[in-house]
Amino acid sequence: MGNWHTHVFTSTYTADVSGVCSALYELGGMTVLHDPSGCNSTYTTHDEPRWYDSDSLMFISGLDEMTAVLGDDSVIIRDVVRAAKDLKPRFITLCGASIPHIIAFDYRGVARLIEKETGIPVLPVATDGLKSYVSGAGLAMKEWIRRFAERKAEKIPGRINLLGVTPVDFSRQENADAMKKVFTDAGYSVRVFAMGETFENLQEAYQAECNVVVSSAGRNPAQYMYKTGKIPFVEGVPCGEQMAERILQAVKTGTNQYVCDDYDPEGKILVIGEEIFAKSLASVLKGKPLYPDIDEGLDEDLLLQEMEKAEMIIADPLFRYGRRGNAVFIPFPHEGYSGRLFRKDIPVFAGKEFDIERYIREKK
Amino acid sequence: MKEWQLIKDTAYEYNADIGLSYSSPARGVWNIVHIGTLVPESHQIFVCPTSCLRGVVLTTAEMGAMDQMSTITVGEDNILEGNMEEELHEGTRKILDSLPVKPRMVMIFTSCIHHFLAVNYQRVYRLLRQEYPDIDFVDCYMDPIMRRTAPPDPTLRRQIYRVIGKADHDPSAVNFIGNEFTMTENCDLWLHLQQNNITVRDITACDTYDEFLRTAEGSVNFTFHNAAAKAGRDMELRLQQKWIAMRPSYDYDVIDADMRSASEAAGIPAPSKQEITENRKKTEEAVKKALAVIGDTPVSVDHTAVDRPLEFALFLLEHGFQVESVYIDVFTEDKNIFERLQAEKPDLKICPSLNWNIRRAERGHEGKILAVGQKAAYFNDTDYFVNIIESEDMYGYAGIRRMMERMIRACEKPQNMRDLIQIKGWGCQC
Repeated sequence: MGNWHTHVFTSTYTADVSGVCSALYELGGMTVLHDPSGCNSTYTTHDEPRWYDSDSLMFISGLDEMTAVLGDDSVIIRDVVRAAKDLKPRFITLCGASIPHIIAFDYRGVARLIEKETGIPVLPVATDGLKSYVSGAGLAMKEWIRRFAERKAEKIPGRINLLGVTPVDFSRQENADAMKKVFTDAGYSVRVFAMGETFENLQEAYQAECNVVVSSAGRNPAQYMYKTGKIPFVEGVPCGEQMAERILQAVKTGTNQYVCDDYDPEGKILVIGEEIFAKSLASVLKGKPLYPDIDEGLDEDLLLQEMEKAEMIIADPLFRYGRRGNAVFIPFPHEGYSGRLFRKDIPVFAGKEFDIERYIREKK
Repeated sequence: MKEWQLIKDTAYEYNADIGLSYSSPARGVWNIVHIGTLVPESHQIFVCPTSCLRGVVLTTAEMGAMDQMSTITVGEDNILEGNMEEELHEGTRKILDSLPVKPRMVMIFTSCIHHFLAVNYQRVYRLLRQEYPDIDFVDCYMDPIMRRTAPPDPTLRRQIYRVIGKADHDPSAVNFIGNEFTMTENCDLWLHLQQNNITVRDITACDTYDEFLRTAEGSVNFTFHNAAAKAGRDMELRLQQKWIAMRPSYDYDVIDADMRSASEAAGIPAPSKQEITENRKKTEEAVKKALAVIGDTPVSVDHTAVDRPLEFALFLLEHGFQVESVYIDVFTEDKNIFERLQAEKPDLKICPSLNWNIRRAERGHEGKILAVGQKAAYFNDTDYFVNIIESEDMYGYAGIRRMMERMIRACEKPQNMRDLIQIKGWGCQC
């Protein structure tokens, strides 16, 4: 096994801070990244397809050396209060990268102070810039649910939530719509966390009889809602008819279900991507999933070994760099890995209509 | 809070680079990856947490230059175990031993977190220099937390020249230092040096590392941008190469004065009175031609397009153009330029480009507007725009004439602003 830190040839998955922004983008809040610079432009350039056409409030605090050395939290409090009083967001989210982490920035305390001064709810999401977007999006969704969802709401039969739906994993609204259609066609009413959905609709989260976790970012909120509302969850992406049917059957059980197959360690089709997506696609193809760890990403040595052993690789086109072996490479772009670079080539892969065999034939 | 203010109500100490910052979709300004990639046969290693790596890796991927960069991710384990130096050392060795072709120069970018954890990276570089004597290692910094005192961009423009050693200076050769674009016929100084058979070396025009190293032979270093000043000063101190900062001015007298200083330093005659007269005449004609086309169409300028946006706005106003707004976050130009602009056009709008209050500004403009720069184009929502950053290759009279041509073209022919401004590192052909 190699050293996971070093990547000679390959890219990196996007970070927790981008996950926070992406998850809460459409809900009328204001997200503040506590960081010197860069995280905001990285997110809005590479990870956020909605940026140009909307006016969602995503800002960076511009933390500088003296403020960090002195631990002067009054700067960010003053700046956030000033902006919030003018822009009047529905809520404020506070997250940050590595410097706040190492100076032990008190997210919860600062959030309380800002909330007290503005009267606007503030969500502290203690990211550290060291983990993948999965962590950030999950923490943000969980925190939003904890604060805003009506926990005592009565269950509505046939209501489900799709958890973990962000452009980082699904890119296009069409993917969110196609997933939703799988369930509405089966008679369910659906709430989607959080693309194409309203704040008020999502407040009804606890009305659901089941949570469908369609990306690993949805796990944290699903486990939280299971703990606090006894709502069972099912993991899987409805990428094609087979997976859609499996998920629909699992939802009916009323228990926690993992619908993806145990993979064959000797499988010759390697699917690289977000965990639940990779497992779902690998289940259909009898292949082997390879997915990044939240803390360590993908170990490049392991990645290259697996790619060398495979006969076919389904992965983001950026994985072509450094590839060894003669495997057929099927490009399957993933916003969370290559950002906007291949955005126009990201297919509508959710829904019963998606046929991975046909996709492979077309891309070979 | 109002998104803009009139210059008559604005203090010279204006600074919109405080408080929460917004990131507009205009991406043309180069970042450190673009600048670093100018060095031929080099390799960049970024050592940072995931959140910092993402931007530089995808910048590189979008340039199609993934074979020129590698990464070492800083993890929680490094923070807890205090093994940043070992990680940096081992990671760099692994990268160098894995690359199919050994680079001539390796730029290692450490980040904000290394400062705060007091990492002794210079020791690691010393070891690496012993282990790989054929490779030049350069300490570089992606540390925006230092942006108030040592911003990453000018620091990198200095660092990439740190590999240049002492050499005998050739009186028939000079260097252009710290440029992003190759300056040729749109630059008065290049034209004048050519006329006098002086060789100009410029990193932007180097195809090989050896060619780049010949920068050492230049007798004078010329810089054209504020961001290059650190490099010019450093090389003057270290290598005793004379440094002349050419002011990116639109004032004819300033241009003439700087050309005289440059000529003296290069040991050649200054432009003659006749040349200056001819140059001024041609430039005034070019300006009149542009005014005839642009007429009363309002003009908006931003600070990413030209080094001196206030002076440029003043130049345009004094020549009859209807400059309406300037997008700028902090005034760095002389106070007298600011005061003259206040007197010339008291209702000139001064707009921030990154302060939080611009996020919900109503983008657009009633009627046609000509923008000079990507941010001005974006905020005015106009397809009529001059798509340049950092004055591109323009300097002096020739530069002004070129700018007039580009303004005419931009006014006559709309472009796809939405797509063009979102391209990262505009004009970077690495």
